Amino acid sequence: MSETSSAVTAFEALRRQTLRRQRLQTLAGLLIFSAILLISFQRSQFFSSDIGDDPLGRIGEFLNRMIPDLKGEALLADSRTEGSLAWWYYDLPRWLRLGWQTVEMAIVATVLGAVGGLLASFLCARNLMPIAAVRFTVRRTLEAIRTLPDLVLALILVAAFGAGPLAGVITLAVSTMGSLGKLFSEINEEVDPRQLEGMRASGAGYAAMIRYGVVPQVLPNYTSYALIRLEGNLAGAAALGIVGAGGIGIELQRAITYTEFDTYLAILLLIVGMIFLIDIASEAIRHRLIGLGESR
Amino acid sequence: MNPGQLARARQVAPEALQPSWRRRLINWALTVAAAAAFVAMCVDLQLAPASVLSGFGKLGTFLANSMPPSDGGDLPRILVALAETFAMALAGTVIATLVALPLGVIGAKTVVGQPVLHFVFRRSLDWFRGVPSLVWALILVSAFGLGPFGGVIALALADIPSLAKLFSEAIENADEKPLDGVRAAGVSPLMALRYGLAPQVVPVMASQVLFFLESNFRNAAVLGIVGAGGIGFELEERIRIFAFDQVVFIIGLYMICVAALDMVSQSLRQRLA
Repeated sequence: MSETSSAVTAFEALRRQTLRRQRLQTLAGLLIFSAILLISFQRSQFFSSDIGDDPLGRIGEFLNRMIPDLKGEALLADSRTEGSLAWWYYDLPRWLRLGWQTVEMAIVATVLGAVGGLLASFLCARNLMPIAAVRFTVRRTLEAIRTLPDLVLALILVAAFGAGPLAGVITLAVSTMGSLGKLFSEINEEVDPRQLEGMRASGAGYAAMIRYGVVPQVLPNYTSYALIRLEGNLAGAAALGIVGAGGIGIELQRAITYTEFDTYLAILLLIVGMIFLIDIASEAIRHRLIGLGESR
Repeated sequence: MNPGQLARARQVAPEALQPSWRRRLINWALTVAAAAAFVAMCVDLQLAPASVLSGFGKLGTFLANSMPPSDGGDLPRILVALAETFAMALAGTVIATLVALPLGVIGAKTVVGQPVLHFVFRRSLDWFRGVPSLVWALILVSAFGLGPFGGVIALALADIPSLAKLFSEAIENADEKPLDGVRAAGVSPLMALRYGLAPQVVPVMASQVLFFLESNFRNAAVLGIVGAGGIGFELEERIRIFAFDQVVFIIGLYMICVAALDMVSQSLRQRLA
């Protein structure tokens, strides 16, 4: 009897001790986190910055200025009539041209980046590249590329190549290479080794082995990743224009500079529509590829 | 395979051994058309080899100028800017989490069962997800003036829709049985959520929030370029005056910070799991 009760007492004491330690740890964690958070809000001037009075009212006014005053009766009139659609989209031909340039930038950059990523992926896949030093170097390079934000790279390249789509294409191609190189190499590492062994046994060289042993297995996955990346690159290309790397972003920047907020909304809607269309197209292509893969 | 078998194989599956001329012609035509379209796009974008070469030449000069990297005697300022960028990322993530939490609960199918409401709510989140943080930042910086405040709000606004969606998925994926068990023991609804639901969803949510903190640290660096302060601003300033030794220094420091943050958040995530 006394043995049981002493065991219970010991257990209770241990439990209380553990609980107290856990609570102390949680409390300490919370204190540290709150301190960091407090410093963060202070440093980012979240509460202290002079944003003028009535911030909500200013956002409201801002949204109000973004929405164009379209007039129902003049909706379809020409661009000189205030309140018509054509007046809102007053520079539509130019925006469409720049929009198309953005699409071209995204496509060209995706193709170049995919080719670069393809080469890199063969160099850093464990089953295809026997030399560990090469694998390590290529992997670290790709990682470094992925860490660097696109816009920073674009700034440097605009300084080197001058303002225009060339800098934007190279920026997007490099960052596409960074991400696709990694994804492709992961696909490569999942390649079925038996086909490669068969080819090696029949005396195929390195190039033939990759062309006939690896490519047929990985091509559908490659294409699907590249198409997803194309969608991302379109949004990226639209943003790069802000630093002068070509495409429609320059018009966004101009609209903000001249405080034409309704124009900003017009161009933003154009970009969202463009991304939407590319999404549909690339999804259709992807589904067809997957469908083809199944019927084989 | 002897000639007899070969002939039979040709008969059974003609396409397998030699695709028909029509098919081969179509394939070739498609390839040529795609190549022509690619070249036409390159021409339209004025990607001339000469300008590419001269650009890479300039890039080489920049690189040569950037060695050895130096802090330009402004190390304290750079460190403060880095801290400011991290502060923006943390503040933006916390605000986004606080707003996304109720939205995520509303968006969960197990909470709001009404299918039309659920559909409308999810779709509107989808639409907002299409707007990147940079676009928010452009608007907000012009509304609130230069400084990190607009950047914090921009980061939060860009994160809220995605976080809300992930949160509601976490709630939908939670097992009902522990909740039922706790309820059966006769506790208050709040206690049931605390002991039945929270242990299941909080680790998942916390690890997603950590992921967003990582990506916000990268995005915050970019927001400085449009005037939201922090390390992006310092970088842009130095790129504009071609001080590439300092640019390389800052980029190197920034990459180390990114790697360190990734490591810390990864170890936190592993402890949560």
